Amino acid sequence: MDNQGHGHGQNPSMGIVGNGPQLPYGSNPYQASHITGSPGMVVASPGTIQSTGQPAATQLGQHQLAYQQQQQQLQQRLQAFWANQYQEIKKVTDFKNHSLPLARIKKIMKADEDVRMISAEAPVIFARACEMFILELTLRSWNHTEENKRRTLQKNDIAAAITRTDIFDFLVDIVPREDLKDEVLASMPRGTVPVTGPAEALPYCYIPPQHAQQVGAAGVMMGNKPVMDPYAQQSHPYNMAPQMWPQLLPPPPPEQQQSSPDQ
Amino acid sequence: METGGFHGYRKLPNTTSGLKLSVSDMNMNMRQQQVASSDQNCSNHSAAGEENECTVREQDRFMPIANVIRIMRKILPPHAKISDDAKETIQECVSEYISFITGEANERCQREQRKTITAEDVLWAMSKLGFDDYIEPLTMYLHRYRELEGDRTSMRGEPLGKRTVEYATLATAFVPPPFHHHNGYFGAAMPMGTYVRETPPNAASSHHHHGISNAHEPNARSI
Repeated sequence: MDNQGHGHGQNPSMGIVGNGPQLPYGSNPYQASHITGSPGMVVASPGTIQSTGQPAATQLGQHQLAYQQQQQQLQQRLQAFWANQYQEIKKVTDFKNHSLPLARIKKIMKADEDVRMISAEAPVIFARACEMFILELTLRSWNHTEENKRRTLQKNDIAAAITRTDIFDFLVDIVPREDLKDEVLASMPRGTVPVTGPAEALPYCYIPPQHAQQVGAAGVMMGNKPVMDPYAQQSHPYNMAPQMWPQLLPPPPPEQQQSSPDQ
Repeated sequence: METGGFHGYRKLPNTTSGLKLSVSDMNMNMRQQQVASSDQNCSNHSAAGEENECTVREQDRFMPIANVIRIMRKILPPHAKISDDAKETIQECVSEYISFITGEANERCQREQRKTITAEDVLWAMSKLGFDDYIEPLTMYLHRYRELEGDRTSMRGEPLGKRTVEYATLATAFVPPPFHHHNGYFGAAMPMGTYVRETPPNAASSHHHHGISNAHEPNARSI
C-alpha cells in the first residue's frame, strides 16, 4: 500500500516527463487508415522509464496509466468498428462473392452429427457473422500487441483477447495454457480485473438503433479527443476511471443510459 | 444431444495439442483426426441418408487461411504483421465459433421439433450466447439478402414450403423473451427490440410468401 501510494503521488511528474517523448513517438508507428478514429497514443518504452532512474513504484503507476489509455483507445475503435459494420451492410448489393466460402461453412456446421438440414440462408448469415467475428477478435488482439510495443500479432495476443472478453469464453481451450498464464501474470499488477469489467460492458450496451445515432457515435469519438487532454494533465489513473465513463455515456441515447446503471 | 455437441467441441483441443508436437507426430495426429472426421461423416451419411463422401479433408475443417488473413488485414494498420501461429489460431477460433453457434441453434430446432436450421435460428443463438452487437447488422444483412436474392433463391428450386416454415420460425422467434446467457449484458433486450421494429418488412415478406395461414399455428403453439 505504501508503495502504491508513493507511486500515486509521483504520477503527475511522471505524466509531465512522459508527455515529451510521447508526442513524436506516437505519430510514427500507428496509422488508423482502416478504421475511423483518432490516432492511438503510444506510451514511452520501459527502456525510457528505466533510463530516468525512477523507482519501481513509479513504473507501476506508469503501466497503469498506459493500460488505461490502451483500454480507452480500444473502446473507441470498437465503437467505430460496429458503426462501420452497420454502414457497410447497408450498402451491400453483391451476395454472390462472400468473404468466406459457403460450402466450407456448411461442412463445419454438419460436422455435428445432430445437425440435419440447413436452410440456404444460414451459411450466408454465417459468412458475414464470421467476418465480423474475425475482425473483432483481431482488433482486440492487436490492442494487446500494441500494449507490448510490438508490431507482430502473436498467438498470445489472441489468448489475451479471449481472456478479457466474456463472449469468447468458448475459445479458451483453443489457446495453450502458457499463453493464458502470461496474460494473467502480466495483467495482475495493472489491476486488470476492476478496469476490464466496465470496459467490456460498454460496447455491448452500445447498439445504435438508427442512422442518426451513427452520427451521434461519430460525435462521441470526436468528443473523446478533448477528453484525452485533461486526462493526460491530471495523470490520476484511479480518478480517471469514473470520470471517463460518465463522459462517454451521456452522448448515447437515453435507452442506453437506463441500461448502464442497471449494470 | 448435449453429449454430441460436447464431443464436437472437444475435437479442437486435440488440434491445439497437435500443433505442439513435432512434425511427424503432428502428421500422425492429423491423420487420426481425419479418420475420426471420416467416421463421423460416415455416420452422418447413414443417418441423414445424403450422399456425402466419407473422406473429409483436413482443410475442410477450417476456413481458407487466405480469406482469414485478408479479413484480418482490413482492421489492422498497414505496418502490422501476423505470425503464422496467430493465423492458424484464428482459423481454429472461426471453426469453433461456427460449431458453437450451430450447436445452440440446433438445440432450439430440436426442441421445436424442426429439422432445418434457419437464419433466424442462427441469429437467435448468437443473441442467446452474448453476441448482441452482431444481431442488428446481421438482421439488416438478412433482409437485404432476401430483397436482392429472394427471387433467385426461389428460382433455384427451393420448395415454397420451406419458406413458409421459415416464416413460421420468424413468427415464433418474436414471441419468447430473450434469454440472458451472461448477467452482465442487459443490452440484449435492445436487439430483440430491433426485431420487433423490423416486423413490417417481415410482414411484407410473409405476404409475398402467402404463408399467413400457416404462421398462426406456431404462434398458438408457442403460447
